Amino acid sequence: MARFLFVVPPFTGHVNPTIAVAAELARRGHDVAWTGLPGATEGLLPDGATFVPATSSEVAAYVDELGDRRPDLRGAAAFKFLQEEVLLPLAGAMVAGVDAAVDAFGAHVLVVDQQALAGAVVARKRGLPWATSATTSAELVDPLAGLPLVAEAMHRARVELQLANGVAPEVAEAGDLRVSPHLVVAYTTAELVPDVAVDAPICFVGSSTTGRTEVDDFPWDELEADRPTVLVSLGTLNADAGERFWAAAAEAARDASWQAIFVAPDALVPDPPPNVVVRTRVPQLAVLRRVQAVVTHAGHNTVCESLAAGVPLVVAPIRDDQPVVADQVVRAGAGVRVKFNRIKAADLGAAIDAALTDPGLRAAAERIGASFAAAGGAVAAADALEALVPSA
Amino acid sequence: MSTTTATAESVLAELDRILTDVIGDDLLLDGPLSMDTSFDADLQLESIEFVALAEQLLETYGEQVDFVAWMAGMELDDIIALTVGQVVDFVVASLAEPQG
Repeated sequence: MARFLFVVPPFTGHVNPTIAVAAELARRGHDVAWTGLPGATEGLLPDGATFVPATSSEVAAYVDELGDRRPDLRGAAAFKFLQEEVLLPLAGAMVAGVDAAVDAFGAHVLVVDQQALAGAVVARKRGLPWATSATTSAELVDPLAGLPLVAEAMHRARVELQLANGVAPEVAEAGDLRVSPHLVVAYTTAELVPDVAVDAPICFVGSSTTGRTEVDDFPWDELEADRPTVLVSLGTLNADAGERFWAAAAEAARDASWQAIFVAPDALVPDPPPNVVVRTRVPQLAVLRRVQAVVTHAGHNTVCESLAAGVPLVVAPIRDDQPVVADQVVRAGAGVRVKFNRIKAADLGAAIDAALTDPGLRAAAERIGASFAAAGGAVAAADALEALVPSA
Repeated sequence: MSTTTATAESVLAELDRILTDVIGDDLLLDGPLSMDTSFDADLQLESIEFVALAEQLLETYGEQVDFVAWMAGMELDDIIALTVGQVVDFVVASLAEPQG
């Protein structure tokens, strides 16, 4: 039996997909553990999970302060902040701890998130087999294609990170910390991401999160039985960023033929129309079985879970990987894009009407959903990861 | 297109029309488009909208104005700091170059 160490950043959307994969590996008799920042990361793991801290709690507190990730920034400025102020410092701070965690746990294989580059540095330095855990599809395509100088500067920074941590120069210069040459586990399908730009074996596993157990405390009796229903969610990080968005969504819902579930802070929907249920959390999988359309900021997990359920989308990307994921949805024909910052109630209402009634959008969402059902999820991921275990 | 002459004023007006088309009619949330308006901080132009801007510049001014190649020469800080005035100057300079 082998020991798999998951190296993760302290972000919900990047940890959640690994949980089912680790559970499947454990079911097969392997040992699994996670390493990352103490506190924030541990809180995202299931009870009884083995966690090896990769930094002191002081470093974790510092990163927590960056946790809101400057919600005022957009576009290129947000990209610069994420790369230079969050991901590269996080990687530098985690390398020594991940290295020690490999020894403490006796890891045979590392499973490294694309936003936890320290894992890739350690695996390359030690010559360990490692897999990339692509919990968003934005790094599988080439969003910097038209900006070669920016791409080169990002590559250079990742080479410097390796050189500073003892990776041999010829190893550091070759390849890419975000892409393991051994295996990339991608939590999506080729039907949704047909334009992959990485040169590595990719295992498309679909969604690993659709089998999770949820606490269902949703007030279902507040919904009308036969009325079309729309889920509106901006994910775990962005609910507070959308004052204008929530006002537009409430206005669009007022007097609409549909009813809606808003995943939002009560304060941002002060006077909800009677056909809107506002909750700060929902059992999302159960809700997705009940709704006919989803409005989302195009966070990767919400998009994939919605499409896995065959539900068409309205995507309102805010920043980071979201515009890339939103493009994928639109190009697949499974959703309609609206603006986030300049959203208007009339435009949002029209997009929701299209998602609810356009048979082409519904058919495309169901086609992508079928590709997710066929992809194999956590079982397929575990199969691919087992193949990386060195023979004794 | 070889006979096109363009002034900063005419290009700014054209850019106003293009950006209103790309972004929408509430482009001017914080006042009129000016040479100092920033694409990142003020307009919050997304990558998909940069693509649309490039297409419309090509449509309007022809291949002499190669916005895509110009962007490809930029570092990240250049893109963050990019202003309407820089694009206007780029268009005017591109059109002033002799055809060859």
